[in-house]
Amino acid sequence: LCEDVTDDGLVFKALADSTRRLLLDRLFERDGRTLTELESQVEMSRFGVMKHLRVLEDAGLVVSRKSGREKRHFLNPVPIRLIHDRWIDKYTEHHVSALADLKSELERNDDDR
Amino acid sequence: MTIADETAETKNRLEKQVEKVYEIYIKTTPDRLWKAITDPEMRSKYSFGNRIKSDWKPGSRYEATNPGAPGVLVEGENLEVDPPRRLVQTMRALWGEDVKREGTSRVTWEIEPIGDDSCRLTVTHDQLREGANDQLYGGWPMILSGLKTLLETGELLTTPGSLLYANPTTTAGRR
Repeated sequence: LCEDVTDDGLVFKALADSTRRLLLDRLFERDGRTLTELESQVEMSRFGVMKHLRVLEDAGLVVSRKSGREKRHFLNPVPIRLIHDRWIDKYTEHHVSALADLKSELERNDDDR
Repeated sequence: MTIADETAETKNRLEKQVEKVYEIYIKTTPDRLWKAITDPEMRSKYSFGNRIKSDWKPGSRYEATNPGAPGVLVEGENLEVDPPRRLVQTMRALWGEDVKREGTSRVTWEIEPIGDDSCRLTVTHDQLREGANDQLYGGWPMILSGLKTLLETGELLTTPGSLLYANPTTTAGRR
């Protein structure tokens, strides 16, 4: 881990790529896939898929487990939940209260008329 | 791929059991983390208000109840109890007819100290049927996020899960 990159930063960076999001979707459909299985799901070289998986693992979005000669990959949705709790909730709450303020403001103006 | 191959693959997939892995880093000690998992008071603060009761001996039973819902919601056996590192439990979800049909699955909690101030907590939920009802395991991210907030800030996290039984008129039988 780089010192200047926060955990959230790694997650946002990992999610900012369509191939990596596709890999997460494939794991969401069926968890615990091997590199070979994932490789057949995307139009990309084995090396390319490995690189993307590495970024996902560094962000904690994918956890891998040794199983015999192969490594199985699991989707770990916890970092996305943490981002949801840390960021999304905060802004959607404000959004809702801002709309409520707007509504009462508009209704007050109506009364003045 | 021939039809025979596809049939074999489908059969294989249906018989295969599913494993879910959840991992989180928490700034705390293994002892505090173990306590937060096994202490009914602390556990209820991030686990949908559910109170877990057990003597935490290998082979003994545990059950989870909730003041906002009738009956036992989750039960199982403690297969391995190795504080503050490893806890393996069977799990039977009882909060609804649909989840009851899923039968018994297994939950493994593993605590690993990282550096001198943090822990990696891994929850592995396995022996799940392929295509099992996602209520069985869908709550883990919320639970673990709440556990992290509790241990790192001492505060409670409001999530859809924490509000599940907040209204006394709610009788929905979920975890």
